[in-house]
Amino acid sequence: MDLHQFIQLTVNGLINGSTYALLGVGFALILGVTGRFHFAYAFTYTLTGYLAAVAASSWGLPVIPAMLIGLLVGIVMGVLIEVGVYRPLAAKAGTNSLLVIFVASLGITIAGQSAITLIWGLNAQARTLEAFKISTWHLGSINFTNLDVLTVVVAWACTLAFSAFLRFSSHGRQIKAVRANPEMAQAVGIDSRAIYRVAFAIGSIFAGVAAILYTLKYAAVPDMGQRPVFYALVVAFIGGTARAPWKVGLTGLGLGLIESWSGNWVSAQWSSTIVFAVLLIYLTWQSLKSAAWARPIRVLAQQS
Amino acid sequence: MTYYSDWINQILIFAIFAMSLNLLMGYAGQVSVAHAAFGGVGGYAAGYLSAHSGTPFLLAIVIGVAIAAVIGGIISLPALRLSQEYLVLLTLAAATILISIVTSVDIFGGALGLQGIQPAELFGKQLLLPEDWLVPLIVAAVLVYLVCWRLGESPYGRVLRGIREDEMVTRALGKNVFTYKVAAFAITAGMAGLAGALLAFYNGLAIPSQYGFSYAMAIIAMVILGGAGNLNGSVVGAIVVVGSEPFLQKVVNIAPDKASLIRLLLYGLLLVVVLLVRPQGIVPERLQRRGLLGRLLRRDEDEVPEATGPPAASEAASAPSEPVASGNGAAPAGEAGQVVVEVNGLEKAFGGIQAVNGLDIELAAGQITGLIGPNGAGKTTVFNLLTGSIQPDAGTVVLRGEDITGRPPNRVAQKGMVRSFQDVRVYPRLSALQNVLMGIPDQPGEHALPLFLAPWRVIRGERQARRRALECLGFVGLADKAHESAGEMAFGEQKLVALARLLATDADILLLDEPASGIDTRWVDRMLEAIERLRTEGKIICIVEHNLHVVERIADRIFFMDGGKVAAKGTMEELRSQKHLVEAYFGVV
Repeated sequence: MDLHQFIQLTVNGLINGSTYALLGVGFALILGVTGRFHFAYAFTYTLTGYLAAVAASSWGLPVIPAMLIGLLVGIVMGVLIEVGVYRPLAAKAGTNSLLVIFVASLGITIAGQSAITLIWGLNAQARTLEAFKISTWHLGSINFTNLDVLTVVVAWACTLAFSAFLRFSSHGRQIKAVRANPEMAQAVGIDSRAIYRVAFAIGSIFAGVAAILYTLKYAAVPDMGQRPVFYALVVAFIGGTARAPWKVGLTGLGLGLIESWSGNWVSAQWSSTIVFAVLLIYLTWQSLKSAAWARPIRVLAQQS
Repeated sequence: MTYYSDWINQILIFAIFAMSLNLLMGYAGQVSVAHAAFGGVGGYAAGYLSAHSGTPFLLAIVIGVAIAAVIGGIISLPALRLSQEYLVLLTLAAATILISIVTSVDIFGGALGLQGIQPAELFGKQLLLPEDWLVPLIVAAVLVYLVCWRLGESPYGRVLRGIREDEMVTRALGKNVFTYKVAAFAITAGMAGLAGALLAFYNGLAIPSQYGFSYAMAIIAMVILGGAGNLNGSVVGAIVVVGSEPFLQKVVNIAPDKASLIRLLLYGLLLVVVLLVRPQGIVPERLQRRGLLGRLLRRDEDEVPEATGPPAASEAASAPSEPVASGNGAAPAGEAGQVVVEVNGLEKAFGGIQAVNGLDIELAAGQITGLIGPNGAGKTTVFNLLTGSIQPDAGTVVLRGEDITGRPPNRVAQKGMVRSFQDVRVYPRLSALQNVLMGIPDQPGEHALPLFLAPWRVIRGERQARRRALECLGFVGLADKAHESAGEMAFGEQKLVALARLLATDADILLLDEPASGIDTRWVDRMLEAIERLRTEGKIICIVEHNLHVVERIADRIFFMDGGKVAAKGTMEELRSQKHLVEAYFGVV
C-alpha cells in the first residue's frame, strides 16, 4: 500500500467513523441510562431520514423545514416507544425485562419499516434529498466531498456538545446520576421517568442526524436502518455505555478506520464482516476475562 | 392445490425453525438471532454437496445438520459467561458473518444464490411438486417436535428451565450449566440446519436473503407469539406468521406485493400487543407435566407415605426421623471435630474495597460453625469465594486435603460443598418438588443420550429422584406442598424448600446464608430443628446469621468477622467475654 492510498483510506475511515460515532453515542445513551435494548433505533432512524426526503420531494417543503419535521417526528416516536411500550413492559417483566423489550423492539422495527413502505414507498422506494450541490474537493491527491466535511463537522459538534452538556449542565448531571443508579437518583428527587424520556429524545436526535446525513449522501430507503443499528450496537458495547460520549465516539472512529483500512486487503463486501469480527473478538475477550480456567492467563497478563 | 400445499410446506419448515429456537429461548432462556443463519449453514452445506458432488438428498441433509450443529456449538462458546444483551450481540455478529461469507464466496454463488441443487429423491421418487413434499415435511416436523418434546419435557428440560430461571443457583446445585448451554446451542442449531437444508432442497436454491435477518426476526416472532416454553405454541406461531400471507391474499383479497407488507405490519404490531397484553403467548407454557411419563410417575408418587402434618412449629418435631443425610452414597463426614474444610489467607478486593482480607477459618465434622460480624464484614463474600462463584485474589480453600480454590461452583458442589442464598432464590415458576429435584445429582434423564437410547433408565432414575426429593421435602415438613408453585409460597416455606433442595444434592457440607432471617417465628423453630438434626446426621454446617439468639442456640463454634478477616473465634460465651466485641457488635446484652 503506498502512502497516498493509505491517507485516502484513512480519510474515508474518519468520515464513515464519524457517522458511526453519532450512531453509537445515541444508542449508548439510551442503553446506558434506561437499560432498554432499543433495537427500534433502526425505525426512528429510518423514519427521520425517509420523512425528511418525502417532505422535501412530495410535499414541496424547503430542505431545512423538511429535515426538522423528520427530526421532530423521530424524537416523538422514540419517546412514544419508551412511554407506550418499553415502560409498561419493564414494569410487568421486572428484572428480566431485557429479552421482552428486545423482542418488542424487533416487532416495532418490522411493523414500522413495513408501514413506511406501505404509506410512501409503494411506487418508488428510494427517495433522495438535496440540500446543496455536492462537489468533490481535492487536497493534494486526496479526494472528499463538501458533504463529507459537513458530516464530520456535524457529527463531532453533536458529540462534543453533548459531552459538555452531560458534564457541565445540571440536567446532564441528572442524566449521569440516573445512569449510575436509578433508585438512588429517584431517592434524591430526580424524576427517572422524565430522564428516560430525555434519553430517548436525545438518542433519537443522534440517530436522526445520522439518517439525514445518509439520505443527503445516498437516498432514503425503507430498510436503511438495519445496518446503522448494527454499527450503533457495536460502537455502544465496545465503547461502553457508561462512558463519556466523546470516548464512545472515538470507538466509532476507530471502527471506521479498521473497516476502511481492511479494504486494502479484502474486497469491499467483506468490510462489514470485519466490523463484526472485531466485535466477536471483543466478546470472546470479555468472556475470557471472567472465566475461571483463564485465571492463569490473566495473572500472566497482569505480571507482564 | 399446489398453491395451498406450498404454503403448508412453508409453515412446516418454519415450524421446525420455531421449535428449535423455542427449545433454546423458551426453555433455556438463551436468546439467539442466529437461528436463521444456522439454517443457512445447513442449507448451503447440503445444497453445495448436492449441486457439486451429487450427494444424495438424505445424506446431504444429515451432513448439513451436523455442520450447522458444530458451528452453533462453537459460536455459543464465548457467549457462555456473558449476560443476555451480549448474547443478542454475539449471535447477531455471528449471523452477519455467516451470511456475508456465503454471499461473498464465489463457490456459493454470491447474492444470486447457490444454483444446481439436485431435486430431492426419496424411495426412488423425485419430489418435484409441493404436493410431493407434504408427507416428507410432515414427517420431519413431527420428528423435530418429538425430539424437542423429549428434551424439553424431561429432567433435561427441567435443568434448562432452571438455567433460564436462575443460572447462578443452577450452577451452585452442581449442574454444569456450561455444557448444557453449548449442547442446547448445538442441538437447536442442528435442527435449524435441518429446516434450512429442507428449504434449500424445497426451493432448489439457497440464497442469502432466505436466511437473513428478517427471517431471524420472523422466527423469534413465531416463538414469542405462539408462547415461549410450549412447543405447540411454536407450531401455532408458524401458522400465524407464515399463514397470514395466503390468508391476506385469498381471503381478504389483497394483491401479493401489498399482502406481504401488510403481513409484516400486522405481525410486528401483534408481537408488541401480545407482549403487552398476553406475554405468555397464545399457548402458554405448562409448568406441571401432563405427559404419559408424568402420569406414570404421578401414580408412583402417591405411594410415597404422606410425610408430615401442618406447618405448626410444635408439630415439626414429629416429622419423620429417618436420616436424609445419607441419600445415595454421600461421602463419610469423618470423625466429629476433624477439620474438613480449611480456608487459609483468603483475599478478595472489589475495586478499592478489600472485602476479604486474609481470612482463615476451618469447618469441622459434626459441628455447626457460625460466621458473624457487622454488615459489610464480608460474610456473604466468603460463601461466594468458598463455592467458586467469585475468584479469590489470594489464599486457598482445601476440602478434605484437596485444593479446590477457584473451582467453578458446579465442581465445588459435586465435591460435596453447597450453599444457600440470602435471598432464597427458589425457582419461582417451578413447583416445590421440581425445585428439590433440581438438587438431585447424576440423574440419567438430565443427559441427552440416555433420553433417547435408554428411556427405561430415565424412567427408573426419575422415579428414584422423585422419591428422594419427597424425602427431602418431608424432612423439612413440606411433603404435602410438593406440587405448589414455589414462588407463591410463604417466605419461610421458600427457605425450607431451598434447604430441601440443598439436601437433595447429597453434599455433606452446607453453607447456609441467613437461614432464619426474615421469616416468621414459627418457621424459625422448624428451620433450626432441621439444621440441628442435620448436625446429628453428620453434616458439616456453616451459617451466616445476624440473629445472635439463633447463632447462640445452634452454633458450636463461632468466627467473628470484621474488616474481611477473623477478629475473634470461640463459643458464644468466649466471645461475649471479650469486652471490645461486646461494645462494637453485640451492643448492650
